[in-house]
Order: sequence, then structure tokens, then C-alpha cells
Amino acid sequence: MITREDVENIAILSKLFVPEDEMDSLTKSMQEIVSFADTINNADTEGIEFDNINNLSNVFREDTVKESLPSKDILKNAPEQAEDHFLVRNHA
Amino acid sequence: MKYELVAGFETHIELGTDTKIFCSCSTEFGGEPNSHCCPVCIGLPGTLPKLNKKVVEYGIMAGLATNCEIANVSKMDRKNYCYPDLPKAYQISQLYMPLCNRGYVELSNGRKIRIHHIHIEEDAGKLIHNHGDTYVDYNRGGVPLIEIVSEPDIRSVEEAREYVEKLQQIMRYIGISDCRMQEGSMRCDVNISVRPEGSQELGTRTEIKNMNSITFITKAMEYEYERQVDLIENGGQVVQETLRYDDATNTTSSMRSKEDAHDYRYFRDPDLVTICVTDEEIQEIKNKLPELPQKKCRRYIEEFGVPENDAFLLTKYRNISEYFDKAIEGLKKPRTVSNFIIGQIFRILQTEEDKEAFDIKVTPGQLNELCKLLEAGKIQNNLAKSTLDKMLESGKPYSEYISEEDMAGLDEGFVDELCRQAIEANPKAVEQFKAGKEKAIMAVMGYVMKNSKGKANAQDVLAKIKAMIG
Repeated sequence: MITREDVENIAILSKLFVPEDEMDSLTKSMQEIVSFADTINNADTEGIEFDNINNLSNVFREDTVKESLPSKDILKNAPEQAEDHFLVRNHA
Repeated sequence: MKYELVAGFETHIELGTDTKIFCSCSTEFGGEPNSHCCPVCIGLPGTLPKLNKKVVEYGIMAGLATNCEIANVSKMDRKNYCYPDLPKAYQISQLYMPLCNRGYVELSNGRKIRIHHIHIEEDAGKLIHNHGDTYVDYNRGGVPLIEIVSEPDIRSVEEAREYVEKLQQIMRYIGISDCRMQEGSMRCDVNISVRPEGSQELGTRTEIKNMNSITFITKAMEYEYERQVDLIENGGQVVQETLRYDDATNTTSSMRSKEDAHDYRYFRDPDLVTICVTDEEIQEIKNKLPELPQKKCRRYIEEFGVPENDAFLLTKYRNISEYFDKAIEGLKKPRTVSNFIIGQIFRILQTEEDKEAFDIKVTPGQLNELCKLLEAGKIQNNLAKSTLDKMLESGKPYSEYISEEDMAGLDEGFVDELCRQAIEANPKAVEQFKAGKEKAIMAVMGYVMKNSKGKANAQDVLAKIKAMIG
């Protein structure tokens, strides 16, 4: 059962601000999402070994360097940048 | 009342792979900011991480070298937290099924510091704080780490120091990390509590985060021990919290308390598949591991009769012990080589860094040849020493400095003659020796050694002189 406190707590952990008038509807939505995901827990898995949908294990890369992206491209989506760094402003 | 210190370590070690853990960007230290980055390591949507095979291999090596059980099946998890050093807002790590479990590191006092587990994970980016703003460089983001989590088995600052040094030495030996604390490739979090001596219960602990020097670790632990004891003695209680150590003031201060402790909401990372390692594969890696320093040290002492302290110095860095192993090939007395390394060679390698690099001009083969001459009795120790000094300077073989004539040995009759002369020339010393002053004979011997240009065998000369006087 998802409570208002859960939503508040997750908002804090995610550094999100949730306006008071949205709390109830968000709690309800989140409960619906979790309930839907719960469907999977009700599946009968008795005697079935399941790890992942593609039944894959040991997908590895060799340790060989490939070229990185130019830093100007890396910084392209940065909300703010300075001196080739991502810049996070102090909003306190 | 006396209080016992109880500490456990979480040690982060950057692995020396060429590429990051989940993408092919370079792990090289330095570099322009954000120049070793790609969509995977800055966490752009739609990218798929792919595990670097070498990270698994190195992780297993670390586990084997610290007596861990290697998991046949392990998995990657997401550790969720929101901070600018993590572009994805989660770190890919291992919680539920780490790669290595239940190991230990043995200290010189015989105590075993148990290792709870070792897991593999990605490093976070580097933050530079400036006037409240934060500048982020993601070059380090995604660099592979192992985290070695010990049990709270450490009981003193000295044990803590040795534990960290041992880990550093072992990881360098097996070649998975350079463990340079000042560059941040080895960092420690220390969990520390105190309890009345004799008590079996654990006290409330605090955690000192992210220390990158052994000096800081020991100072921070000393400070924190005193602080906790003071608190308890004055009727207070230790609060479980995370602390940061400030080396400028040598104090710890609170970062966050238990109340606002992180809730990481760990869960299996759905982007990464299970890691399966067979016993055969583990054995194969085991076979490739070099002899570990502790074992090597014991072998030098037991097999070669090297004094304990010398054996410790020889095995402190892998380069030295490898040099020693090569230089003793075919020698009857490996101690000759160890004496030369610790005497002549260490004299020109002043700093620990120099010793670790062990970059000298004389090859192990050249030193071996010199020692063989000595063993064959063709030259005497003094000549060998002075020749080695010259070789260390020039890098040329002994044949540049020792002639056939030097090696020809001395005619017995000539040595006898020199001894007679020596006794005649030093009547006073002879008298003193006869009167019971043992050391006086050294002057007589010195005369022979000097006039034979160091070629005479000191032991023989001493025997001859004593026989003549007696």
C-alpha cells in the first residue's frame, strides 16, 4: 500500500518538489502503477528458473579503448556549463 | 576505564584496466575535463552498458589474493541516489550477489582481518566546489572499482595501518591497481566504535568517509577514538553518523546523521546480465597469480636464510622481489644478492617511490655474474662491492672493472710473505693482541688486505696471522 509519506519520501530522495494539491492524485497513481507491476509477482513460477527475458549471461566487452566523444558534444545537453565542466548552480 | 577501538574498513580500489567498466572510454588519469566520456558513461537515455571482461577477471584476482570464495553466479545492482557526481542518479554496483565473499588478510601479529565481501562497481565523477557552485568532470565516472568490505576486526590504529598497507601491497603485486592514494586510486571509509575493554558487544559506530592517505586515516581514527571515549566518559552517547575528516584541523565533523541516512533502494540492474564463472575459469586465474608477498617473504627466510627484516624489504615491492628472483639464479648463497640489494642498491634508491620503481642500470643478469665470481672465490667481497658501485653508476658489466689479473687469485707464498711483513710492521698491535685485545689484530690484517689490493681472503689471512703469532 502506497501512502502519502511514501510519495513525500521518494520526492525528497529524488530532489523533486511536489505541490500539496497534487499529493493525493500522485499517491493514487503510484498505487496503481505498483499494483500493475505486482501482476508479475502473481505469476506462477513454480519449478521455473528465470533470470532474464533473453536468457543471457556473460555478455562482456574486451578491454580495448575506443574514441570518446569530443567534450563539446558531451556538454551539449548540459543545462549550464563552464570551463569544459557541467555546472551545477547553488540554489540554496 | 580502558576502551578498546573497533574498526572495519571499506576500501575502494580503482582497477588498472584500459577502459571503463561499462563503456570503451579511456580510464587514463588526468586529461581535459569531460574528454573521456561517451553517452554510456554520462548516462544518456537509451544507452546500454556492457561489462568489461577484465573487470571481472581483476575482481576475481583480488578475491583469490585475499582468500575469498569466488561466486559462481553474481549480479549487478543499482544503488539509487541523487547527486551531481552520478549522471544517471544511480551507481551500478553489487549488493545482493557480489563477486567475492568471506576472505581475510593476515597481519604480522597473526590476527586475521576477515573480509565480508568484495564487489565490483563504477566510480563517480569528480566534483569541484567553488563559491557554492559545483563543476562536474565525468572522466572518472564509470572507472572500474572494487570495494573491499572488512568485518569490524581491527583493534588498533597500528592494525589499521598494516591492513591498508597489506591491501595496497597485494593489489600492486597482482597488478590490478597502482593503489596511489594521493591520486585517489585507493580510498578508505572507516567504521569506528569503542567499547569497554573485555566487552564483546559492539558500540555505536560512526563512519569517516573517503580518506586518501594512510596518515589521515590513522590521525582521523586517533581523533575519533578520543572523541567517542570522551563522550562516553562524560555521560554522553555516540550518535551513529557519517563524518568527514578535515586534515587541516585534524578533526572530524558531521556530514549526515542516521535520520537522514540514504535510502538507496537497491535493485537488480535490468540492463546487465548475470555473471557466471566456472570453477575451471577460477582455477585458471588462480594459476596465473604471482606468488604473493607474504608467502614469498616466508620462502626467502626459510629457503635462503635471508634475515626476516631483509626478506620484508625485498618483498615490499614486486619489482624488487622479481629482480632478486632473477639475480639469484644458480647461486649457492642467495643472501649475497640480498645483501647487495639492501646495501649497495638501496643506497642509491633513497625514497620509497625509487625503491618501488627499482629503476637501476645493473640488470639482474649482471649482478648474478658478479655474485658468481664472488662465490667461485675469484674476487673478494670488497672488490665486488666497489665494482657494483661502479656498475650502478655506468650500467656496464663487471668485466669493465675487473681484469683477468684481478681474478687470477693470489699465490699462497705471496700471502704468507705479506702476513710476515704485516706482523713486523705492527709490533704494537701484535703485543696488544697477545695481551688479550682481540681487536688489535685487525690492524695487522688491514696491512695485508691493503697490500694485496683487497684480493686476499680476509678469513684466510686472519687464520694465517693468528697461526704465525701464536
